[in-house]
Formats: sequence, structure tokens, C-alpha cells
Amino acid sequence: MDKLSREEVLHVAHLARISLTEEEIEKFRGELKVLMDDIDKIKNVKDVDDEIMYTPIDFNARLRDDVVGAMLSAKDATLNAPAKNGSFIEVPVMINE
Amino acid sequence: MSKYLDLSIKEIHELLVKKEITPLDLVEEALKRIEDNKDLNAFITINDKVREEAKDLGEVDPDNIFFGIPIAVKDNIVTKDLRTTCASHILDNFIPIYDATVVKKLKEAKMLIIGKANMDEFAMGSTSETSYFGAPLNPHDKKCVSGGSSGGSAVSVAGGLVPLALGSDTGGSIRQPASYTGIVGMKPTYGRVSRYGLVAFASSLDQIGPMTRTVYENAALLNILVGEDEMDLTSVKKEKEDFTRFIGEDIKGMKIALPKYFISDIVDEEISNKVKEVISFLQENGAVVDVVDMRYLDTAVNLYQIIAMAEASSNLARFDGIRYGFRASDVDDVDSMYTKTRGEGFGDEVKRRIMVGSYILSGENAKVYYDKALMVRDDITKEFNRIFKNYDLIIGPTTTRVAPMLGITKDDPHKAFMDDVLVIPVNMAGLPGLSVPVGINSEGMPIGLHIIGKSFDEATIYRLASFIEEVL
Amino acid sequence: MSEFTPTIGIEVHVEVKSKSKLFSNSANTYGMATNTAVNVIDLGYPGTLPTINKEVIRQGVRACKVLNCDITRKMHFDRKNYFYPDNPKNYQITQNRTPIGRNGYVEIEVDGIKKKIEIEEMHIEEDTCKSAHRGSVSLLDFNRAGVPLIEIVTKPCISNSKEAMAYLTKLKELLFYANISDCKMEEGSMRCDSNVSISKDDTFGTKTEIKNISSIHNVGLAIDYEIKRQEEMLNNGEIIKEETRRFDDKQGKTILMRVKETGNDYRYFIEPDIPYLELTDEFINDSLSTLPLLPDELREKYSRVGLSSLQIEKLINNRSLNDYFLGLLSYKTNYVTAVNLLLSDISSYLNRHNKVITDTHLSYEKLVSVIEALETRDLSNKNVKDLIDSLMETDKTLDELKKEFNIENITDDNFIKDIITKVIDNNPDSVNDYKSGHDRALKYLMGQVMKETKGAVNPKMASDMLCDALNK
Repeated sequence: MDKLSREEVLHVAHLARISLTEEEIEKFRGELKVLMDDIDKIKNVKDVDDEIMYTPIDFNARLRDDVVGAMLSAKDATLNAPAKNGSFIEVPVMINE
Repeated sequence: MSKYLDLSIKEIHELLVKKEITPLDLVEEALKRIEDNKDLNAFITINDKVREEAKDLGEVDPDNIFFGIPIAVKDNIVTKDLRTTCASHILDNFIPIYDATVVKKLKEAKMLIIGKANMDEFAMGSTSETSYFGAPLNPHDKKCVSGGSSGGSAVSVAGGLVPLALGSDTGGSIRQPASYTGIVGMKPTYGRVSRYGLVAFASSLDQIGPMTRTVYENAALLNILVGEDEMDLTSVKKEKEDFTRFIGEDIKGMKIALPKYFISDIVDEEISNKVKEVISFLQENGAVVDVVDMRYLDTAVNLYQIIAMAEASSNLARFDGIRYGFRASDVDDVDSMYTKTRGEGFGDEVKRRIMVGSYILSGENAKVYYDKALMVRDDITKEFNRIFKNYDLIIGPTTTRVAPMLGITKDDPHKAFMDDVLVIPVNMAGLPGLSVPVGINSEGMPIGLHIIGKSFDEATIYRLASFIEEVL
Repeated sequence: MSEFTPTIGIEVHVEVKSKSKLFSNSANTYGMATNTAVNVIDLGYPGTLPTINKEVIRQGVRACKVLNCDITRKMHFDRKNYFYPDNPKNYQITQNRTPIGRNGYVEIEVDGIKKKIEIEEMHIEEDTCKSAHRGSVSLLDFNRAGVPLIEIVTKPCISNSKEAMAYLTKLKELLFYANISDCKMEEGSMRCDSNVSISKDDTFGTKTEIKNISSIHNVGLAIDYEIKRQEEMLNNGEIIKEETRRFDDKQGKTILMRVKETGNDYRYFIEPDIPYLELTDEFINDSLSTLPLLPDELREKYSRVGLSSLQIEKLINNRSLNDYFLGLLSYKTNYVTAVNLLLSDISSYLNRHNKVITDTHLSYEKLVSVIEALETRDLSNKNVKDLIDSLMETDKTLDELKKEFNIENITDDNFIKDIITKVIDNNPDSVNDYKSGHDRALKYLMGQVMKETKGAVNPKMASDMLCDALNK
């Protein structure tokens, strides 16, 4: 069976920000190839016009009046956060420099 | 033990009005049935406040037929203060701080949310086996799958645990499990029901809908779910209508199309025969049924894979262990926080789909795959419109086979999609579609008929479905 | 060996003025307590969906007009997918394929030469949350998440730091005067990135991006430094890499932040949660009807009422005084005197008390009466200085204040006559100078009179009486 290369699997895993174990990499080499072969079939669809449909909704988007509504307390805003620090939500330091 | 829950909603309502029973009686019965059928694994979370909520209703006079009725809600619809997991480890401790619009509507009708129904993880799957909490079982044969992704919702109704459930349907996830478990499941027109509070899988395909024992109860429940919502720009404003209004009418003169593809050799013979049986019955009762050619139907799974995986890769990016949900331990930099949290938090099906989805949108692929899929999607929609110029409804079987045995599609990334080959085209075009049971096969497993309507013409679907239900 | 030609492009983000955020109705404010100007949408909670703030679209239309852009009539939004802790959904809703504005320009003047800085495109997008870094962790405050931004991208048509600074100054002035943004670089409501490359021929060299420069002045320094750095590198035979740098104003250097990944892979696709947006003529006209006069229109208007270019620039640099003065133009008075007052005594009062003119009691009627009294010399400049606090802080008329401050008492003829006699007696030389035709002597003598009376004398009256006495 055709398989993706290790690098190809690691590349898409990086795009999706998913860590993979060695076993998973091996497993997905085959499984992802099946899906990629599936999606590739779109290339064979003929008689296609240029118009696209990105949503079934075909009317002008409603616009909201500029009025301020209810907001959360800092307690509720951070309620579900796995790591917080006072009213802040905490993450490992964001490397900027 | 009482058997109030086996009565119709109308009958239960009368008993409530006469104060012969209370909402608490119904809740106690439902909880007992859930407990007794624990092996069905229909629920992920039981609402531990539901008894209190039922007691509070004891003082109020019933004001609508759903007053005090217990309902199951699929676990990808957020419920304030009630755990909502999407059947995923990444959300297994998530307590929403707001209600989905449909949940608000259930609460306004004073329905009682008994618990959160099991499902495929993030609704990705067709057997509910991708659930982090294990698969629900088909009450007709516990060795078989319930279908998916709204498997727990289907099982909760089919198993008689509750009379009603909400599911969501991105590529057949209401209709296919309804068919596998022998109940009625409707995917309304895209935009009919607000998606606000439905955890997005594929935003342009997702729609919430009712799963019930009967067509009437399905239409009646849809009545309270619908409506434009200012929180959802893709919800549509429509005149208020009663979806039960054609129920009980005959089908004389109704024009029905049967696309060849729906009775081709991809469909199990027993099912094909059943559908043909239904068709002759419809013809005998004055409906016109024509076999028609429809183009692009066979591309739908392909489109679904591309569009749903692409949108999902973006929709599920927010699960990163920062603002809510699970965060992997021992992460000391941002990148490992993301990759370990998502690597440990998501199951294999979700991982596959968001990896391939990211790939589909990546660089030049976006043009090759995604843009092309959107073009074909437009064409398939035009093809449906062409058929609907001459026909009121399109029918076919809901599934190509009856509910398969547990385990046989697990970890087969391709087969998982093929279970939905007949129902997916409807999501592409945003149309309404319903599965109604039409009998069982030789092994006693349910078969469903799929009825597709014009945009926003759910009422005509219910007309045909109720006729079939009544007479078959 | 310095025959390199620099090419510079500038990307500016401005926070748009509105009451609520772009895709949610929480407050668009600055300086609120941490994580209190947020709702579930800003936090990217599962199930939430965007709505569109009408005012932000109006601001976008106004910005198009002000920056001479073609308005895109039918647009959609796109998702820009990238993982970063300040990006709550890990995608940003922006406009990639259909920016609201295209092909605009801003006219600048450098060393007397006019040039149009061409704007490639201008689009609406949401801001990220704010992060602060503390040792091994970063702290997130989501108040800024979802604040509306307009990003303005020039073509690579800027030749040097002077042009860049002139462009930014002009852009800031335009957007500020159009009420589109506060444009406060120090508070981050205007942010600037510069792309700099150099080349010896008409192909473009490899560009580096300098991010988030904190002031217009620093943009100039950063560009000059970067040009020099790149020239030295190329002269030394080094290769310039595409990279992101920042400007350190203490060292006066640009510093490497990160080398760009090969082709940013933002996996753009159309935001399916937002239907298309088509702007009608009515919407556009309505949006533009509230657009205030822009600086160049003001310049023309002011020069017609006789203000000097120095006065005009000073006035335009002070928005609140400018707006006040604009209102004064509907009164008939001496505008030059008015501007002098506004820029001197009134400004120093406002600075002293840290107020803006609209916080004071200086009505147009009162200001006009002061100008009139100065003209007729019923009031001296000294009198204005004495009265300024009361003029600004009370509702009393000028006449009432003059009484209160005894300014009228010194119109006593005999008192003034005595003073004049004394001054004439004490300054015979000046009297002689005057008599032999030196006008300056009159000014000196008048000064002596004012000094003796501590300035509290009606200047016109005193001057007339002094002339009379001298001409005797």
C-alpha cells in the first residue's frame, strides 16, 4: 500500500499543531494517504462552472447596531482556563525575540 | 414502574394538564430507564439538577405540548453550567458559561434536559465509535452500531429512554443514525435553526434538528427550534409556520423524483427492494414517482471530505488548552502546549481530519482542492434546483446498508465516509432531509427512507413522511 | 559605492472608533480592568459565531473616501489561520480576497515636492488580545480581542525615511480628523510595520519587515538604520534574508526577531459564518454624510479667513481647539485675533489645568465680546491675562467681570491725567523724540503709563489722552 513519507506526516501534523508518537506517525502514513487519495478525486470532476458556493446562505449579511451589550466578569472569563494568574489567563512565555 | 414515557407527547401532555402526573414523574422514569439501560451508553453526562428543575415546574400550568417533557441534547450543543464535552478528552471538563440558542428555546418551552447525548468525537464519524466515552449501542441489536454522529441521541429515543432528542447533521449525522435505529430524524434547511452554541464542525454544513419516535412529534419539535437569531448571521428570517399542518393529508398528485444513483448497486439489495416496495405503495396512493438522472451526486462524498475537513481544521484550532478545556501537563513553551494538548486531547479520527483539512487549505492546495470543491458544490446545488422545478420531493434510501456491527468501520478512514454517501448531497445544497423508518430487514434491523425537500419546505416532507408512517 | 535605491512599503493598523467590537457587542474601550471588556465570542468559546458591527463598516467606507480608495461593493470575510496565544480562535477574521478599499493614495509634500503615496488595499479585521511577559509565563488580557482594526497597505513606492514619515503624519492626521481612529501610537491604536529593501537596479531586493515601531520619528530612524545595515551587508558580499526585525529606540538599531518561514501558510478561506456583504449607494452616502472637514479642506478655509500658515498648522495640530474655532466661524469677528487668543492665553490656561476647551465656560458669545473689547482697546492683553481664569470657569459676561475686577474704575479721567503728567515729566528725552517724529517714543511712553497703572487702565483711552497731552 502507498504511504506518505514520515516528513509529509510531520508537516501536516505541524500545520494542525498535533504531536505524534512514533507509532502514530507510522499509522498515519497509511491512513492519511487513503484520505489524500480520496480528496484527489476532485481533480477528475468535469463540467464545472466557475461560480462557487461557500455557504447556502444567499442574502446580504445583517449588520448589528453599534450598541454595547452584556460582558463577563473577569472571574467568568477565566473560569474554564486551565492556568490563570489573577484576572489573567496564563500561558508559557510567548517567544518573541 | 410506570410507562408514561411510552405514551405519545399529546397523551403525556393531557395527563400533565389534568395534573395526573407531574414533570418529576417523567424525569424519574427517564432517569430510571437510563440507569437500567446503562449498557446502551446513550449519555455522556446526566443533568444532576433535572429533578429540581422538574420540581420547579410542578407549580406551573402546562402552556405547550412540550411542557415538562424530558429531552436528550447532543453533547456538541452547549448548555450553561452543564458539562459539554463533544465526546472529546480535550473538553471533558468543560462547563459552558452560556446556553445555545436552541437550548434557550427548549428552556422557554419548559422542557427538561435530562442529559447530554453521546456522539462521535466532535461529530466526526458515522458510527459514534470515535467517542472518547465509548460507543453507544444499537437497541435493536447491541452488537451493532447506533450510527453517527448523533448516535447517543438516536439511541436515547429508539431505546425509549426519552421521547425526544436533538442531534446535529453535517453530512447525515441525524438521518443516518435515525435510519439505523428506526426513528424519525430531520435535518432542517441550512439557516432554519440557529447554530449559535452548536460547537462547529463544518460551519457551512452543520444544522441542528429533531430526532423523535413519530413524524408528528418531529414536526412539532421543529416548530419550537426554528427562527432567525441575531447571534447567527446564517440563520434565516421566515414567516412563522406550523410544520405539522400537512400531517394527515393524502399524497394525491404529489410529484416525487427518485434519482437513479439512490437505487444503484451501491445500495444493499434488501434496502433497494424495500424502497421499491414503498414506491409502488406511493404510486398506488396517487403520487407520481419518476426515476431521474442527477449529475454530481457521486461527487458529494468527495466534496464533503474536502469542505468538512477544511472547515473543521479551522474550527477546531481553538482547542488549544488556553481559555478552556484540557491542557497537557509539563508544557514549558507555547509550541509544546499546542501540540501536546491537541495530540493528547484529540482522538485519531479528529486528528486525521484536521491534519488533512490543514493540508487541503495549505498554499496552492486551497485552489486545487477547496476552491474546486466549492465550484462543484455550486453545481450540485443547481442540479437539485433543476429537479425541484418539476418535483415536490426527492426520495431514496437513507443508507446503503443497515447498521453494521461494532468495530468494522473503526480505523478505516475511507469507509467512515461511505456510510453517508446518500445523505451528504443534502448538506452540500443546504436542503432539508428526513429519515423515516419503513420497516426492518431479514435480521430485524431498521431501514429508513430518505425524503429530501425544497429549501424551507420541511412541511411537505412531513406530509409524505406522516403518510408513510401512518399506512406502513 | 552607495548607489543602492531603497524601496519601502508601509503597513499601518489603526483601531477603529466604535462603541462595540467588530464581531461581538462587548465594549471597544481602552484601559478597563483585565478581562472585563469581553464576552464568550471574544474568548472564542466553542459554539460562538460572529456578528458584524454596522458602524465599523461605515468607518471602513469613510476611510476609503478619505484615502481615495475604490470601495468594494460586494465583499466577504476570510479566515487567516495561525496559532498564537493572543489569537483566541487561532484564526483571525479578516478580508483577504475582497478588501473594502483598493487603489487609493495619500498626497504628501517633502522638501516642497508633492508625491502621491499609493495605497494598494485597505481591509477590516479583528484585533488580537494583549499579552504581557513575566519570566517564564505570558499573561493574556482579552479586552482588546475583537477590537475593530483597519489595515492600510501601501505599494512599495516610498523612497526614503522622509517620505515615510510624511506619509504617516498625513495618514494619522486624515484618520484622526475623519473620526475613524484616535491614532495614538503610544496607546497602540496606530501601529506601523515597514518593509525595506534596497537594490541597484529596478528589480526589488530581499525585504525585511520592521514590526511595531512606536512612533513616527522612530519609523524614520528605523528605516535609515535598516537601509544602512542592508547596504553594508551587500557591500560586504553578504546575503539579506527575509526576516522580521524590531526597532530598539535605546540602541537606535533594528534587531532580528525571527527569520520568516518559507512562505507564510495562513490557509486563508472564506469565512462561512458570515454571508456576503453588499454595500448599497444609500449605505455609502449615509456613511459619508457624517464625514467631517478634512485637514486640507480646513487649510483652504482658514487661509480664506486670513490666518497665517503658521497659525493654521498650529490650529490643525490641536484637534479640540480646531473644532472650537470651526464653530466660531459662524460668528462675525476678527478671526486672527481669535486664533491668537486661542493659541496663547487660552492654550496656556488649558495646559495649566489639563482641560480641553469644551470643558470650559468660554462661550462663543463671550469670546466674541473679548475680541471686540480688545479691538476697541476697552481691554488690554494684560486684562485678558487677569480675567482668563474667570472667563473660562464662570458664566459671567465680560462686562460683569470687568466690574468685578475693577477694570472700569481706571477710566477715571483725572487719575489717568495725573499719571500721564507724571510720565511726561519723568521722560523729557522721549517726549522730545516723539516731537521730532519718532513713533517708537510714543510706544515707550505708553508702556510707562501702563507700568504706572499696573496695566489696569483702558488702553485706548490712555493712548488717546497721552497723544492729546503730547500734542498740546
